[in-house]
Amino acid sequence: MTSITLNNVSLVYRLFEKLTLSAPGRRRSALGGNIAKSGTKQVVQALDGVSFELKAGDRLGLVGPNGAGKTTLLKVLYGIYQPSGGTISITGKVDALFNIHIGFRPEATGRRNIVLRGLISGWTAAEIEEKMEEIIDFSELGDFIDLPFKAYSQGMAARLAFAAATTLEPEILLMDEWIGAGDASFQEKAKRRMDELAEKAGIIVLASHDDALIRRVCTKKLTLRAGRVESLA
Amino acid sequence: MIAALNGAFDDISKAMRLHRVWIALAHEDIGDQHRRTTLGPLWMLVNYFAFVGTFAFVFVTKDASNPSYIAYVAIGMLVWFYLTETITMSVSLFQREASFIQGTTLPLFVYVMRLTMQCIIRAGYSLAGCVLILLLSGYGINTNWLLSSVGLLLLILATPAFVVVFAFLGAFFPDSEFIVGNLMRVGMFFTPVFWVYSGQEGVQEYAYHWNPFTYFLEGVREPITAGIFPGHSLAVTGYFCLGLWAIALLLLGLYRKRIVFLI
Repeated sequence: MTSITLNNVSLVYRLFEKLTLSAPGRRRSALGGNIAKSGTKQVVQALDGVSFELKAGDRLGLVGPNGAGKTTLLKVLYGIYQPSGGTISITGKVDALFNIHIGFRPEATGRRNIVLRGLISGWTAAEIEEKMEEIIDFSELGDFIDLPFKAYSQGMAARLAFAAATTLEPEILLMDEWIGAGDASFQEKAKRRMDELAEKAGIIVLASHDDALIRRVCTKKLTLRAGRVESLA
Repeated sequence: MIAALNGAFDDISKAMRLHRVWIALAHEDIGDQHRRTTLGPLWMLVNYFAFVGTFAFVFVTKDASNPSYIAYVAIGMLVWFYLTETITMSVSLFQREASFIQGTTLPLFVYVMRLTMQCIIRAGYSLAGCVLILLLSGYGINTNWLLSSVGLLLLILATPAFVVVFAFLGAFFPDSEFIVGNLMRVGMFFTPVFWVYSGQEGVQEYAYHWNPFTYFLEGVREPITAGIFPGHSLAVTGYFCLGLWAIALLLLGLYRKRIVFLI
């Protein structure tokens, strides 16, 4: 059974300071969170005591101001950042869409990029071969699929990335913001695909500043502020 | 320490299972670099010929009586180009791979092997040029080439360790990209790539005996140009590789999860 359980998860990391003219009180990490002193070292508290539980079929929207920890939380869930405290228990195959361009090479064709994206996501050659046409169909790229990726518009790139990430039906899908990139018809199509994923007992976690998108797509909303959970509704 | 080593081996083993990823990415990298050119990757062969030709042209007059000099330079350039490219590209590896490291859960060693593969493919073109030069210089293929390939094998085995060590150096000390780049440029003159050591004293003596790159070069070159088994060079290279791998494993084990916060 697909599930995500976070219990008092925190992420603290040491800040490796670069030369800057900014006053110490105004320095901010790229990850967001709070800067604090630990002995002689500066540390960033990116997440602090985050707890929640998601079960099959849940679609969680992460909201909060810039630097609240939305992307950091997604990356903790994906396993890119190792939490410094608390426990995470995830059951299910996780895939993520943080950046449309990850795994896509500008000079390679859309078809070749599907192969590369599949390899990076751990698919077998047979799985890639089997799903190739379905991805191309969903992306609606037509003959563009054999043109270099750099020739694609932002919306075409988003369609291909979304199709590649969701065609193999991950049990847990993590998405950051970018889904708002495509046009209205793509967003509608993406929502239907996400509905299908959720109905197949999957979990979706989507971080966005777009309240309308969160309301349209998600069944739960978690508000983060300065790395802490402000509300979960 | 044991946990760190286990972590490193785990990362390496996961990366080796994903060999199709780094092989595919390395091929794409090479293809992208030459995509719009007429000669494509053959430019690497042209570059190699140009360098060997220039050094042979400039220095061969002095060593005209020594027919092995062109072969000496050809093998020296092959190994030196491989080493210098591997090391200089390693220093900025994690910066170049930042979007992957911050956006996927691929093991860190995948990026190490991606660069290793790239360097091996590039060296393959130089190797083809080197073999051609050796054949044209009158060095027919014989059993000495097998001994030489032992040196090449050690060089390839050391490559991922070189990449790991210099990639972590670059991540912790960004200035090292420029320091290492300059040192490698100067290092060519302190390594017997194109000059021949024949017992001179002073700087050349130190540059020959106390320079680990000397032994990488001689391990490949001596069997062909001198017809001898490079036992001493291979032994030094072997110990150097073990030391380098020990450092690489520790770095990978201790710091691989912190790299994402450094880049």
